[in-house]
Amino acid sequence: MKRLIILGEFLIVLLVGFYSSMPVQASANAIVYTDADYHRLHAVIEHVENVLHYGHAYNESTALLPDAINTLTGEPAKWTFPNRAEVPYSDLANQQNFFRTLVALSLVTGDEKYNNEAKASLSEFLDNYQNPNGLMYWGGHRAVNLDTLEVQSTESENGPHELKNMMPYYDLMFEVNEVATVRFIRQLWTAHFRWGTADLNRHGSYSTAYDANVFGQPSIEDVILMDDDGLPIIPADAPGDLPFVNAATDLAYAAYTLSDHTGDPAPKEWANYLMRQYHLASNPDTGMTVYQYKSTLVSKSALECSDPSYTNSGCGDRVARQFRDFGPIAREANVEWKNTQAIYVDNTLMLLEAADKYDIDYYVDWVRGYLEGYLDYAYIRINGENKIIPMFNDGTLTYGYIVPEVGYYGPSNMRLGYVDMPTTYLLPILRTILQTESDEDNRKLWTYFREIVHTFGMGDVGPLGGENPALNLFTAIDDPFALMAMVELYNATGNRQYLDIARTIGNNIVREKFHRGFFVENEIMLYSRLDQPETLALLILDGVIRGIDSADMPYYLADSGYIHGYLLANDGATEDRSYTHTYIYSKTIYDWE
Amino acid sequence: MKKSLLTVLLSGLIFMGIVACDYSSSTTGTNLPSGTNSTTSVTTLSPVEEEKAIYQLLVDAENLSGMSKWNNIKITSNIDLELPMTYQGVTITYSSRNPEIISDLGIVTQPNECWIESRKQDGVTPVPNLNDDWPVVVDVLMTYQGQERTAKLMFVVAPAEGFTCDKYKG
Repeated sequence: MKRLIILGEFLIVLLVGFYSSMPVQASANAIVYTDADYHRLHAVIEHVENVLHYGHAYNESTALLPDAINTLTGEPAKWTFPNRAEVPYSDLANQQNFFRTLVALSLVTGDEKYNNEAKASLSEFLDNYQNPNGLMYWGGHRAVNLDTLEVQSTESENGPHELKNMMPYYDLMFEVNEVATVRFIRQLWTAHFRWGTADLNRHGSYSTAYDANVFGQPSIEDVILMDDDGLPIIPADAPGDLPFVNAATDLAYAAYTLSDHTGDPAPKEWANYLMRQYHLASNPDTGMTVYQYKSTLVSKSALECSDPSYTNSGCGDRVARQFRDFGPIAREANVEWKNTQAIYVDNTLMLLEAADKYDIDYYVDWVRGYLEGYLDYAYIRINGENKIIPMFNDGTLTYGYIVPEVGYYGPSNMRLGYVDMPTTYLLPILRTILQTESDEDNRKLWTYFREIVHTFGMGDVGPLGGENPALNLFTAIDDPFALMAMVELYNATGNRQYLDIARTIGNNIVREKFHRGFFVENEIMLYSRLDQPETLALLILDGVIRGIDSADMPYYLADSGYIHGYLLANDGATEDRSYTHTYIYSKTIYDWE
Repeated sequence: MKKSLLTVLLSGLIFMGIVACDYSSSTTGTNLPSGTNSTTSVTTLSPVEEEKAIYQLLVDAENLSGMSKWNNIKITSNIDLELPMTYQGVTITYSSRNPEIISDLGIVTQPNECWIESRKQDGVTPVPNLNDDWPVVVDVLMTYQGQERTAKLMFVVAPAEGFTCDKYKG
């Protein structure tokens, strides 16, 4: 009997050991929250708390936060004007990922204070910083001075309104101040879109009168016509108003959210019209799409334009000027080596979001065509890296081309080489796949996705569907886009390997980018930007581990915030015109005195 | 009674052992064979493992076959590039976007004219010899047992001696 008891005890021990060694099957897919998971979340909390602490400490009379924080001093980043005035700035268009981070952090922690912080900041902004015509004081050329709480222009005294791929967090804005948000979206179109001609200007005037019936304008014909060969004719009739896709993406996104919110289909129909012009202007043979669907009308004299360094768009299409050696294909619309992130990443993500949320199914087919064409013609692996071959959208190569003279696209004797393909491309490719129903339609794009992921050093996602991957769970990649892609693959397949590699990437992000209590681009970078996507990506991962439905979490769409304008150059003497990314966010801790 | 209880316990142990072995084999990581001996080793793998092994073999074919050796080298004569047509059982085929300059078999014929005649933005003033060399993309298809991988190669070919450069497109 004693031997039997001993044997029984042995069996119980064996049973416990057996089941604890197979957590996946025995616990019905429950995910254990580990110390490493907590470590990542703790880093996000510390970053957010520091941003809130130092952001509010600078000026306690406002709920607005600076765009970026000096990680050595806790002070706001400052824009130095040519007159040497140093202005700490708050540009809420550049803080959208931080608002999404705050909302996500409340979701995963259950602590509403983060959500309330986001609402307080947005509420103050929407209540106090809306021009009477409806436009908000934000974007590329306007910001709030955190010393005076006055609006500041970085582009002369009366800088225009400009949004380029910023895709504000409208869901939260509607929640905070519906009236102001609706008014803003209506005026966004009034100020930027020309209803009779479909011209579009990235710049909108704060003087344009508000029009409550803006989307009730009569519909117009498509502006893109086809030539005898079935190729699109790009009209050269835009009077200085160039329809850049990065501005159009914001217009369309705003209109879709407004229609969804109010139930009025008119904004959505205008957004459909606008996106269709880009589609019609795409090259039907290659599938590659365009940055703009118009060229500018020549309005300047031949004498004024005789200087190639004078790149005013009134001298006509700037690619036609600088790349005229290539003939008629040389148009700004057709360039596939510059601004491609705006075309194939930002616009694509918006179209896929619209397809998913607002039932515009054909956008998935459009996007798949664009991406397949681009990858078929231009994607190349060079020395183990993902690259893009520069070309025009009909496939005409520009690789190796040396420009004879200075122009809008660069100095004379500039040689065009390969363009980097960053990890941002992972999400549009993957989301297109996940939103495509047919395996057959997905086969080509999946093959590219597999090759690109592998080349990024993340291992093999395996054959179509990704259900049998062989991932590199020790990958060194420390990138939020790769992380989000792996989380979305986990959601799609349920395969635990994707979650494991997402955790590895998350750990890498914290190890490589969390320094001095803030997330920074890397250890030596001075400023922590509020718009950086790392914290949102880490919280999306945390939410999945906790079993929070991804549909309930804030969604990543863009990371494009910037300020552009006149400033004092880093030499401390000359006036320059530059961007925050090149003037401020490039500074390292060694640049700080 | 004791004997029958022992029999039940032992049966349970044996059953658990079988289940545990099955669980282990279905969840442990795949041991991919290296590309160099994949021709023989893939035949012993499950279909999923075999697919992955072939994928790795195709990756190796791209990286190790020597097809990329002309990267960053300007080709200045009519030569056979000797592009590899096989690698460890992988069939490699090429499709040139300028077959008159580089054939699908990798034979180079230097063109008799420049790539681009360049002029200043006035459209009149020539800038000679700036863009004479031709970039040529060759699309690559690697296949093994019905599985495929694509790649691209970029070549730069100088025009033949005495070439012309008089077809301005601007």
